[in-house]
Amino acid sequence: MIDRSSAVVDTNSSPLLTAEMMSKLERMELVSRKIFRGRMKGERRSKRKGQSVEFADFRNYVNGDDLRFIDWNLFARMDRLYLKIFLEEEDLHFFTIVDDSISMDFGSPTKFFVAKQIAASLAYIGLCRGDRVSVSSFATCGSPVVLRGKTSAYRLLNHLGSLPCVDQSPTMEEAMRKFCLKNTGKGIVVVITDLMSKSGYETAMRMLVAREMDVFLIHVLSPEELEPNVQGDLKLIDCEDGDQREVSISASLLNRYQQALAGFIENAKSFCNKRAIAYVPARSDEPAENLVNEYLRGRGLVR
Amino acid sequence: MNWISMLSPWQWAILLAIPPAVLSLYFLKLKRKQLAVPSTMLWRKAVEDVHVNSIWQRLRKNLLLLLQLLFLALLILACLRPGWSGQNRIGERRIYIIDNSASMQATDVDPTRLDAAKKRVRELIEETSSDDVGMVIAFSDRADVRQGFTKERNKLLSSLDSIQPTMHNTDLTEALRAAAGLANPGRSSFEDLTDIQVADAVPATVYLLSDGGFGDLGDFDIGKLQIEYIPIGEPTTANVGIVSFAVQRSEDKENQLEAFARIMNHGTSQVSFTASLELDGKLLDASTVTIEPNAEAGLLFELSELEQGQLKMILDYADSLAADNIAYAAIRPDRPINVLLVTPGNSALETALQTARVQQIATLQIEGVSFLTDSKYSESANNSVYDLVVFDQCSPTTMPQANTLFIGSLPPRDPANAAKAAPATTEEIAAEAKPVASDEVASQRQSDWVFGELQGPVIVLDVNRSNPMTQYLEMGSVGIVEARTVKPPESGDILMIGDAGPLFGIAPRGPFQDAVLGFSIVQATDQGIAVNTDWGIKRSFPVFVYSAIEFLGGGITESSAPTVQPGWPIGLQLSSRFKNFEIAFPNGTRTELVRGDESRSVFTQTDQPGPYAVFADGLERPIETFCVNLFSTRESNLATEATIKMGYEKVAASNATAQARQETWRWILLVGLAMLVVEWIVFNRRVFL
Repeated sequence: MIDRSSAVVDTNSSPLLTAEMMSKLERMELVSRKIFRGRMKGERRSKRKGQSVEFADFRNYVNGDDLRFIDWNLFARMDRLYLKIFLEEEDLHFFTIVDDSISMDFGSPTKFFVAKQIAASLAYIGLCRGDRVSVSSFATCGSPVVLRGKTSAYRLLNHLGSLPCVDQSPTMEEAMRKFCLKNTGKGIVVVITDLMSKSGYETAMRMLVAREMDVFLIHVLSPEELEPNVQGDLKLIDCEDGDQREVSISASLLNRYQQALAGFIENAKSFCNKRAIAYVPARSDEPAENLVNEYLRGRGLVR
Repeated sequence: MNWISMLSPWQWAILLAIPPAVLSLYFLKLKRKQLAVPSTMLWRKAVEDVHVNSIWQRLRKNLLLLLQLLFLALLILACLRPGWSGQNRIGERRIYIIDNSASMQATDVDPTRLDAAKKRVRELIEETSSDDVGMVIAFSDRADVRQGFTKERNKLLSSLDSIQPTMHNTDLTEALRAAAGLANPGRSSFEDLTDIQVADAVPATVYLLSDGGFGDLGDFDIGKLQIEYIPIGEPTTANVGIVSFAVQRSEDKENQLEAFARIMNHGTSQVSFTASLELDGKLLDASTVTIEPNAEAGLLFELSELEQGQLKMILDYADSLAADNIAYAAIRPDRPINVLLVTPGNSALETALQTARVQQIATLQIEGVSFLTDSKYSESANNSVYDLVVFDQCSPTTMPQANTLFIGSLPPRDPANAAKAAPATTEEIAAEAKPVASDEVASQRQSDWVFGELQGPVIVLDVNRSNPMTQYLEMGSVGIVEARTVKPPESGDILMIGDAGPLFGIAPRGPFQDAVLGFSIVQATDQGIAVNTDWGIKRSFPVFVYSAIEFLGGGITESSAPTVQPGWPIGLQLSSRFKNFEIAFPNGTRTELVRGDESRSVFTQTDQPGPYAVFADGLERPIETFCVNLFSTRESNLATEATIKMGYEKVAASNATAQARQETWRWILLVGLAMLVVEWIVFNRRVFL
């Protein structure tokens, strides 16, 4: 008798993003705390000097430089050759990785649904701004769907909507290793997970940090985890590994649970802060819209 | 050793059902509700925290633990078997003396005093520890050891249950004597026919449950007994009781009977009620009686001549003791006795037999000496027609089948004893008759009458006052010309002693009695009748004749039947004419009465109050009646006594509640079980805490 207190909200039929929300998101922009080099010419100012209209600097001419960029007016005045350097504008690489382990399939709406909503919101923002958006789950880290342009919004939503929770999902560590091997570029990585992994999340996150990416960790927890409404003698069954734990619920046990939960969140937060990872807690019973509008804006991920 | 079940079958069933119930609870506990969670990680941490936390931190605010500790504490407390009285009673010896006299049937304590006493004793027995030995004695006017010292409570309790109310009086001394005797150190009690040394030299506690009414116990030595007197009943209980009820012939009116009753009011207020008199179940008369507090009133009913019947007096007054509101009296059956006087002529004797009193009780037949040779005599004598045959100056050849009185003559020798009975000298007889006889003479067995020679003059020194025939005789002034000494056989009695030796004796002969007077009243001589003694003109002579006829004839002289208190023996003067007797109890059942050699029989089964009747040899009408009545002022007085006086010592009433050990462990155990239930609920609903 497994009471999987899941999806009262039908996650299959309700859309990830509503039209109203999409119009709001169109006005937003993903902000990277770092300036990354993109692959294609985009809307963002790059660290690299390039061919935009925006002037950056002069430098001495050396043999082999493109003659088109010589500032002839200056040569006339100074009788020396100077090269005009312009700022380059590039696109942003935005990666979003959604935890698709079974543990995400809890809550009403499920944490997975909420995670997908967040991912969709952020990815849509990226698409609207012409960023390179890569959407994947732990299971599909090796073969992410890469999208570009607002026209890809339909594909984005379609792909995310069809992502299932995978019973034998790879651990976070495996997923991140695969991700790092596959994506050599830099950019913003948003990992949306509940961190409920017995093997730990630290190694996985360290890998991302090592790639010098701008890492965001959105920690989704359901109300069932935050304030468990249980009583009596229970046999708790871990939905991922089937681990059984017999507990007799008491006020003191619930207290200790809260302490353990607070400790767990605090650990995650301090781990992230130390490594310049933006830690964003999220509740699955809170609309994703609120999270994106208020919380992520507050944390500087979107503008 | 027999297994004694302490529990009834349903109690056993409940006990046996407990283990499966506990087992089922265990299974219930095992069956936990399964719940899938995203991860047990946090729960594991929470549970592991228990091991990490300091133990005292964990114990803090743990209601479950508190409840469990409380439950354990209660269990332990229950096992300690706490009681209100904190004395150490291990190995104590207790004697429970329970009054079951008539007054214990009073209903001032619900349901009766006896039941209340039994209940108290039951509590006392149940509170004893397993090492205590106990003894149960019931007493009324006699003590009855219901159970000797035993450790087995069941025996004590069943013996307690067997105590039934009696209608007897109260006499504590016998019970105390029994208790003291059985409580003496070193005595052993017989239990299952094995001599077991139960009693050590330990003083015993006597629990005396009574309503008092036994008066001063005198100098009774209680020795090592410690007496705890627990009075039963209300100290001031009013009661009205009949203390006397009799029927007698009216002194002034011929052929009239009077029923007389005395009624006592043992209360502090005046009472008024109706007393009704019933004859054989039919209302005869009734009268209203008013009695002042603590006073008594007499009641007289005049009755027309009644031949026979049973009178019952009922007080129509509801008080605590119903037993003393009914009294019985019986009018004796009229049965004249047949007396045959064989005499050559004795005017004094004949005159004495003609008195009205004698005429009332006897039919007299006077015959001459020649009658003895008549075949009519031998026929009737052998067929027990006569109750009494008086031989005056003559004697038959064989003894008749009747009681006999020989006056101035000797009974014929018993052929069996004739050979060895040699005539004794006067000196010898005189010597033997003396109170201090030599051992040699006393030890000589004597089985037949011994008569001395005639001598005179003789003076009567003493008469036997214990015999009804001679108890009213005054012989000091009687002169006797000549008499012979009469020594009855060993089984007989000397009734009169003169200066020469015994003059009058009585001895049994089978079922009959023979009395022999050693001198004649008149003596027929050749010159006519010579007076041998002046007794015939003395006042005591008719008294003697009357007594002799009454005693030897088995006559019934009073119209009122005798009455005794319940449990007391009654002596019945039964005619020797009949062989078989039956006694009818008030409830109708009958029992055979074995009549001994003596005309007087003693009947002891007088526990039921009411009228008794004696039937003989299949006669339809009873030959004798008597009544058993509780005529006891002491029993009717229901006020309990606060102290017992015992010589100079006074034993005050114990405070019954302080003495009793109130068992509390059961209640504690029950509270503990309730705690367990609460704990179980809390255990399953801990979230609410």
